[in-house]
Amino acid sequence: MAAAAPRLAEERVGQVVLPGDVLLLPSQPEEDGERLRLAPSGPQKGRLVCGPGLRRGGEGLLVTKCGLLRYRGPAGQAGGGTGSGSGGTYWVDSQQKRYVPVKGDHVIGIVTVKAGDIFKLDVGGSEQASLSYLAFEGATKRNRPNVQVGDLIYGQFIVANKDMEPEMVCIDSSGRANGMGIIGQDGFLFKVSLGLIRKLLAPACEIIQDLGQLYPFELVLGMNGRIWVKAKTIQQTLIVANILEACEHMTAEQRKHAVARLSES
Amino acid sequence: MKETPLSNCEKRFLLRAIEERKRLDGRQCYDYRNIRISFGTDYGCCIVELGKTRVLGQVSCELVSPKPNRATEGILFFNLELSPMASPAFEPGRQSDLLVKLNRLLERCLRNSKCIDTESLCVVAGEKVWQIRVDLHLLNHNGNIIDAASIAAIVALCHFRRPDVSVQGEEVTLYTPEERDPVPLSIHHMPICVSFAFFQQGTYLLVDPSEQEERVMDGLLVIAMNKHCEICTIQSSGGIMLLKDQVLLCSKVTGVKVAEITELIQKALANDQKVRKEGGKFGFAESIPNQRITAFKIEQATIDTDDVQEQAEEIIAKASPPSEVLANPVLWAPGTAQIGEGVENSWGDFEESEKEEEEEEVAQDKSTTDDQTMEMGDTSVGNQDKKDETIVLSDSEEEDVIILEPEGAQKNRTETSYKQDIASKKPVSKKK
Amino acid sequence: METEQKRFDSGDLPALRRILCEQGLLSRPDGSASWIQGDTSVLVGIYGPTEVKVSKEIYDKATFEVLLKPKIGLPGVYERSREQMIKKTCEAVVLGTLHPRSSITIVIQVVTDAGSLLSSCLNATCMGLVDAGLPMNSLFCGVTCALDADGNITLDPAMKQEKEARAVLTFAIDSAEKKILMSNTKGSCSVEELQQCIAASQRAADTIFQFYRDSAHRKYSKW
Repeated sequence: MAAAAPRLAEERVGQVVLPGDVLLLPSQPEEDGERLRLAPSGPQKGRLVCGPGLRRGGEGLLVTKCGLLRYRGPAGQAGGGTGSGSGGTYWVDSQQKRYVPVKGDHVIGIVTVKAGDIFKLDVGGSEQASLSYLAFEGATKRNRPNVQVGDLIYGQFIVANKDMEPEMVCIDSSGRANGMGIIGQDGFLFKVSLGLIRKLLAPACEIIQDLGQLYPFELVLGMNGRIWVKAKTIQQTLIVANILEACEHMTAEQRKHAVARLSES
Repeated sequence: MKETPLSNCEKRFLLRAIEERKRLDGRQCYDYRNIRISFGTDYGCCIVELGKTRVLGQVSCELVSPKPNRATEGILFFNLELSPMASPAFEPGRQSDLLVKLNRLLERCLRNSKCIDTESLCVVAGEKVWQIRVDLHLLNHNGNIIDAASIAAIVALCHFRRPDVSVQGEEVTLYTPEERDPVPLSIHHMPICVSFAFFQQGTYLLVDPSEQEERVMDGLLVIAMNKHCEICTIQSSGGIMLLKDQVLLCSKVTGVKVAEITELIQKALANDQKVRKEGGKFGFAESIPNQRITAFKIEQATIDTDDVQEQAEEIIAKASPPSEVLANPVLWAPGTAQIGEGVENSWGDFEESEKEEEEEEVAQDKSTTDDQTMEMGDTSVGNQDKKDETIVLSDSEEEDVIILEPEGAQKNRTETSYKQDIASKKPVSKKK
Repeated sequence: METEQKRFDSGDLPALRRILCEQGLLSRPDGSASWIQGDTSVLVGIYGPTEVKVSKEIYDKATFEVLLKPKIGLPGVYERSREQMIKKTCEAVVLGTLHPRSSITIVIQVVTDAGSLLSSCLNATCMGLVDAGLPMNSLFCGVTCALDADGNITLDPAMKQEKEARAVLTFAIDSAEKKILMSNTKGSCSVEELQQCIAASQRAADTIFQFYRDSAHRKYSKW
């Protein structure tokens, strides 16, 4: 039967899910959950987070995007799906091109307008993000950052929801740049799928490690699918960019092979 | 929708790379991207891929009367469309400058170069000639639209077969493909456009610019040529000063490229013809590489519909019989009447201007609308205007308004009641 | 080109023609799909959620725009009516409320029309939406049935069968409950026949949904 019968969410972790699929959650007595939440020790415990591509449906979770179902255990340990009785995060890992702003995401924006106190940035979403000129490290009313239309800015969303204009900042909560700010004039910007960015940003990503063995280069990854890269020469920058672009359709072995061939030459 | 802006950083990098004679995709200055030609099941239908740029071409024909000043010549018509599918910057139905420029260039390249024998398209002089229409749709824009479009146009024209006709005295007979094999057009030569992008006031030049390269170029030179190295048209845009040597160099390069592309086209055409002759499988379905993981195929799938009849009967048996609604036309004024309440207009948004016009109309005709029913329009507007009255303006496509003629009134009434019956049945039968 | 003859002569169970679909084949759109059903072929490109024109902005949901482009000439009334049918179907399935004040543009290009065009457009649109990663509460598919003079049902009719048919019915069916999202009929048929066609379409929908699932499996096999 095509319409997969509702199955336990646990069983489907790592499998392909399609919109309309229903994932059942392990039955958990309501009062039990209530008690846990009331317990002073850990209110977080036993809370189930329903991540991107999933919605709360009648009997469990309703899948809204096509992709692989992922799960992470409640304590942050990469859960294999066992013993996930009462918590953790489920989400759908999908290949997508269009970015939708999410609060806390680090992205690369292109300045399109300088209007008074704010800059407008194209981040690839449905609406331009705004960025105050004061939201840079060390910026004051007198000491404005030097930003031109067409510049690249690496920043973070502090406001991003469906009903409001997204807003970015280039400082963290303590007022430090923390790597954010205007990206230099050199280097090259290109676009890849959002899935690939997530893969590259994953801790201990093999692709970056493999590439790092070739030669030194600078890399900025924006969650909106934009990658800025700068190596010593144009040629080297191009090679890094092309390998990263090609990673979209390469398996690990194919990539290793390609990098090995490059490092030989 | 707006195009993603090009950042200063990309611009600088691209220009610096060009200075170092490097291209993003690793091509050399004079290299073309890969060209792939695939044919549809119909005659005269092809898709040309130039790298990631994709153009769909379709040739069609029609018998029309010729232009009075060219009584013995067939008509050639070109229409390139920049579909919004190809790039977010393209708006539907807008004649942008780029589009006009491209269409004009195509016409010059293909019509004015007399590559098609238009006299052979004449059926009866001054009476009937063939009009050959070439529709080109840009499906994906990744630079160099004109080269891809010109290849698609000439390939589609070469692939096309028109129905055979015979003239006996006054009588023109058109044969279906079953009766007589359709005939190909007579094509004298195959002009193909080759684009050169110039950077830094003409210091650097690249063949077949990609979309990013097009965005930073200073000027563009397009040369259309056939394989006999005859130049069919030249166009330089962007306002750069080119030296004589540069133009000569470009025309030399064009000669080489055109020879290569022509060979490719002929190979593709011959291949398709061979497959068709042998009765093998052809069409776009065969041109999708099966090993691609984004592509998936299933062969003919049988569906078990054995108990469909029983299921249907069961549903009907369960369904409550439709209530007997008798049409009850309300007579508003002599000549107009109304049945039912009407439903929401499902024809979607009209253009703003249309809406406004209609609003105005409503306002104007306010006094007279009382005894008129509007054909179509915004119900809300109409209703707000006349809150004190109970008129419901019907605007559904299945117009429920009937006109009661004194004689035919009886007949109409029965007809509409039947209609109502069906209408009330529908929702019931949809329930499972 | 498929041999039509076989289907006429075989006389056994009604069948869907060969289906082939390629996703993400265009580089510019956010989602794209090429759908080939028998000899009928359509291509769809989807952009969204993107910026919306102020005049078309809806404050609490996404604005859908569907463009159906014929292969020859300019779009006319036929295309406009099909656009609306597809638009309404998409609106029923896509969770537009998650992306208010944005636009979702669906451009459908007819590549070859060899029967069952509307259902092919629906199927291509669904695959395109899946490829674009737009949130949906279920999938949908289109199935066309042709009724001949004797009341026999032909599923997924080719052009010739469509022309000879007494009635041609197209349904859009959702994957969650197999309910009818949209129906379009041409010609006359009885209530019984309508129900039979719906039932047959629902059977065929299973095959198409399984096809969606299998192609998604394949697409994510290297991920």
